[in-house]
Amino acid sequence: MSVASVENWSERSHLLAEALASVALGDRAAFATLYQASSAHLFGVILRINSDRSQAEDILQDIFVSIWRAAPDFDATRSQPLTWLTSIARHRAIDSLRRRKTEPAMVSRHAVDADGEEQDRLADLPSHEPGPMALLQQAGEAKALGQCMQQLSSEQQQCLGLAFYQGLTHAEVATHLFQPLGTVKSWMRRALLSLKDCLGRAAVGPDSQV
Amino acid sequence: MDYSRRDLADRLAAEYVLGTLQGPARRRLEQLLPAHAGLRDAVAQWRLRLGPLSASVPEVVPPAAVWQRIEARLFEPSSKPATAATAAAVSWWQRLALWRGVSALATTAAVALFMVASQQPAPQAPIIVVLGANPEAAAVMNASFVASVSADGRALVLKPLGDVAVDPSRALELWAVPPQGAPRSLGLVKGGASTTLLRAELLRNTAAFAVSMEPAGGSPSGAPTGPILSVGKLQL
Repeated sequence: MSVASVENWSERSHLLAEALASVALGDRAAFATLYQASSAHLFGVILRINSDRSQAEDILQDIFVSIWRAAPDFDATRSQPLTWLTSIARHRAIDSLRRRKTEPAMVSRHAVDADGEEQDRLADLPSHEPGPMALLQQAGEAKALGQCMQQLSSEQQQCLGLAFYQGLTHAEVATHLFQPLGTVKSWMRRALLSLKDCLGRAAVGPDSQV
Repeated sequence: MDYSRRDLADRLAAEYVLGTLQGPARRRLEQLLPAHAGLRDAVAQWRLRLGPLSASVPEVVPPAAVWQRIEARLFEPSSKPATAATAAAVSWWQRLALWRGVSALATTAAVALFMVASQQPAPQAPIIVVLGANPEAAAVMNASFVASVSADGRALVLKPLGDVAVDPSRALELWAVPPQGAPRSLGLVKGGASTTLLRAELLRNTAAFAVSMEPAGGSPSGAPTGPILSVGKLQL
């Protein structure tokens, strides 16, 4: 599997990479372009992980302040711009969950909001939106990743979906699925290994198999 | 932990990208990344593998206040005193004097052209434009550049002739000047090194390139506000 080849990038990737390169020089107009082209995606990703809207807005704000400073670190030979931006957003959003959580590493449906009032987090989850499993299926529709995902057991798919889309830890996934931690860890580890194998084969193998 | 073990590096990279590597373990890995090429590769590859998962997350447009707060946090203290300068800089590109000055630079241009052309025996010769120092801005700064534009008009490399030192509170902005109408910003450029710009159509409707001095962050109005330091006519 080769690292992102620039020739295969989408228009949007080129636009974002160019904007990032200019932002690295301190170009504010390019920064506005970057924000316009990526903020809705990043906000969506953050809200999946931290459904508290006001916290999600703060996270988005922090991310763009860091991007303004970290833009020179972006390396177009190593990753696509949106992937890079998304990984910054995901890690920040996950951090915000950890900070908010109390000692035992478990997900509680009750969280304390900014005003000190207890809230039911399930009530915040927009019910009309697709859950992690539905997102996994949608993600796969266009890509080899989807075919490889389908080869995983449904438990494995659930584990990956909960970790990726909602930022849950191994322990939280275990609680969520009523499974021992060790079992969940080994499901996840094997799921990642099979994905890697399967994607490696898909990259090498002929398209005629599709 | 021994991060040089390949399977371990790969597993950690996978958990890092997936998001399950947390707390101190994640920070340790992040600190190691710059020095550890193998680990960095593994992370890049896992981002490539799992990245498409994010594509299906529905976009949510953030409220406009977020952008305002970002701008306030980054730019507020220095963004005020632009108004007076803007009024004074009456559409410089319409002033004829500027274009008369351009011809006076022809000698410098010829010398620089020879210099650049002899360095690059390119198969598809790039178009070279010399941006000579604008005499009217000599009091501010004496800066010249050479722009080489690829024949297809999609890439431009701008090199300063000599080291153009810019105050940190200022920035250099490159403009494509059409035969008529307002110039288009091509973005900020470096004073001390080459800048490469990729655009769809750099040459279309472009009569000249110009570099202006702007407040840090670039022109706040979208049109040049500061003195024009250098100009070069495009001759196809």
